[in-house]
Amino acid sequence: MKAAGLALNALECVKDNPVNKILPVLPANIRDMVAALPEQVQEQVEEIRLRQGRPLVVGISSTDTFVRADGGLTGRASEAYLVTPADMDRVIQLLSGSSLYALDEELRNGFITLPGGHRVGITGKAVLDSGKIRTLKYLTGCNIRISREIPGAGEHVLPHIIDRNRHSIYHTLLMSPPGCGKTTILRDLVRQISNGIPAMKFAGLNVGLVDERSEVAGCYKGVPQKDVGVRTDVLDGCPKAEGMMMLLRSMAPGVIAADEIGRREDVDALEEVLNAGVKILITAHGVSPADLAERPVLTRLMHAKMIERFVLLGRSRGVGTIEDIIDGRSMRSLGVRKC
Amino acid sequence: MLKILGSAMVVAASGLSGLAVAGSYAKRPRELRALRSALQMLETEITYGATCLPEALVTVATRSDVLVRPLFKQAGVELAAMSGVSAAEAWEKALAGYYPTSALKPQDHAILTNLGRSLGRSDCADQVKHLRLTMEQVTQEAANAEEDAARNVKMWSYLGFLGGLVFVLVAY
Repeated sequence: MKAAGLALNALECVKDNPVNKILPVLPANIRDMVAALPEQVQEQVEEIRLRQGRPLVVGISSTDTFVRADGGLTGRASEAYLVTPADMDRVIQLLSGSSLYALDEELRNGFITLPGGHRVGITGKAVLDSGKIRTLKYLTGCNIRISREIPGAGEHVLPHIIDRNRHSIYHTLLMSPPGCGKTTILRDLVRQISNGIPAMKFAGLNVGLVDERSEVAGCYKGVPQKDVGVRTDVLDGCPKAEGMMMLLRSMAPGVIAADEIGRREDVDALEEVLNAGVKILITAHGVSPADLAERPVLTRLMHAKMIERFVLLGRSRGVGTIEDIIDGRSMRSLGVRKC
Repeated sequence: MLKILGSAMVVAASGLSGLAVAGSYAKRPRELRALRSALQMLETEITYGATCLPEALVTVATRSDVLVRPLFKQAGVELAAMSGVSAAEAWEKALAGYYPTSALKPQDHAILTNLGRSLGRSDCADQVKHLRLTMEQVTQEAANAEEDAARNVKMWSYLGFLGGLVFVLVAY
């Protein structure tokens, strides 16, 4: 029971609070407010949202709350600090390192990655060029997502996905709705599989990681800012389908990992990887295997019974709760809940 | 004897101050040209390298003429410190430190301040527009400065000595 109910928050490392690392990208006045937040809140902040002319919001676990000018929390929008246009202008400058011109591609995708692997979603007005987004302007909203590295987050999943007989892992798919800790767990699994797990007598495997959205390894200038293990090769910012093929051809990986599979070409590439005898470790949005099977693109993946383990995540007992682990062949639960 | 010594000192002093004025007239066009090529480098860094601004400024500083180096270097260092300053503020601060030591005139200062306001705030094409505009203005100023220099350098270097001589002759 314990294993299933373990929430990521409980494992959080307090002394190295990532909030301090993102303070430099905030304007001085907002920086002071965030620094004045109660310590307990600081440890749990997941996102800081700035919307021009509207209250400053911090997201904590599953709820959010407004911030007063003195750094106190309030439930009432009328008491909250309103983000001024000057704040917004400055935060964009600081986020971009005063180099907005270098971020055209990032703005097209709607987010930028900070050193430390924290992701910042940005909204504004899209500038179109023959129907395609060229860039964004009038940037008036941003969501700073504080990414927390939680070593050991995948501990309870590992025993179920490691194939001891063949000294490898099973083809695994992690699934959950957004914000349930998929990426965090994927990162920890990658790290452990790559480093090896002495306790389970599992020697490390070469892992190829296609990090299309720079979320897993949090690369800054090509260098992973998160610990993704000693035998992990990261293709940062690379489209998944092409990235998987590149890794397959050149890096001789034992495992290929990718976040958020969802496009047709991703599935095509996955088939190729599977046929090459390389193990896959992927994530997708969804609540159950049946739900995935209904999505047109993933149907093929599901019908071919390619996936050997489905790991269902949720937040019933906090972010990253392992709700269930299902065997892909029999589609029966492996009984995480019952243990 | 004392009188001669005194006169010699007067001539030397006014001659040297004349040379100093002439020197600043000669320095300005050189400085403006150096500035122009530094801005050209910055444009290259921004368009082809897509280097982030703090890094680009420092790179430009290491490769540019000694005359304009402090401006780019200080702005780059200031920005890289991530102390919450915007590019415009860092640039302005560097400019405030650099301007008094330079031979630049208020109109040059205004051009540079203007550039600072747009630095790093927009997409590539827009940055290029601002940099090109600044370069054009700097080139124009350099041409003016050159004309000024041609007229004034000789005049001031003679004027100093001759003025000193006239004073000595009158006072003698």
